[in-house]
Amino acid sequence: MPDSSHVGRSYRAEGQVVDGERAARFAASIAGNDEVYQPDTVPPTYAAVYCMFPALGQVFGDAEIGINLAGLIHGEQSFTFHEPVRAGDVVDSEATIASVEEKRGMTFVGVEMRSTREGTPVCSGRALLIIRG
Amino acid sequence: MTLSKTAVKVGDEMTTLARTVTQEQINLYAEASGDPNPIHTNEEFARMVGLPGTIAHGMLNMGILTEAVARWAGGNDNVLSISCRFSKPLLPGDTISCTGRVVAVDEEKGIATLDVAASSDRGDTVLSNGRADVRLTA
Repeated sequence: MPDSSHVGRSYRAEGQVVDGERAARFAASIAGNDEVYQPDTVPPTYAAVYCMFPALGQVFGDAEIGINLAGLIHGEQSFTFHEPVRAGDVVDSEATIASVEEKRGMTFVGVEMRSTREGTPVCSGRALLIIRG
Repeated sequence: MTLSKTAVKVGDEMTTLARTVTQEQINLYAEASGDPNPIHTNEEFARMVGLPGTIAHGMLNMGILTEAVARWAGGNDNVLSISCRFSKPLLPGDTISCTGRVVAVDEEKGIATLDVAASSDRGDTVLSNGRADVRLTA
């Protein structure tokens, strides 16, 4: 279980390629039965793929932290888009455990994340994870 | 198209975007996003963990909310930031309605800030505490 000793731990996921075909499937899944909005662009929340999941995947995979995925809730998410990301871009992502708090029998873990393209920030964000039990 | 900073005022309502979310759409989001959690795609598993059935990804709901903001702001590239709380699940077949209202306009920086939210046709607030910044033009 995460505790305050894990605050500051960071993870890197370098060389995330923004795959145009995958971004198009992602855009189609947001559109559902409607037409895809601006199909020539990468949807802003595709940051889930190049910024959030590479970060969270490593946090979840850290055996010393031991997050039980069965009791995990994604409570909040924020993204700031510093520059638009395009298909073919290569971005480096990293994440830091920013906070761990125990409240009402649950553990709240704040994870800060950021992605850069050739050193220039393209996206930053924060996830709040809630672990029950 | 972009929004002119002289035209946008505090209190302006964002155009509402309503969309019925299907299980097929949720399955596609699971694949394209790489989210492996079976609560979104496996009915039996979802019930086993106490849900009424499969639920849409919070990030899919946030994706639809972000599209609503982008449409209103005249393009994906005009969305500068977005944040929200995942309050209640959206079930396949539910219609999500995304709403927003301008709460601040910074004419100098050319940025409008909106309070945004999403609710379902079963009356649940799906996304709350939402905030988005969009770029305005001169």
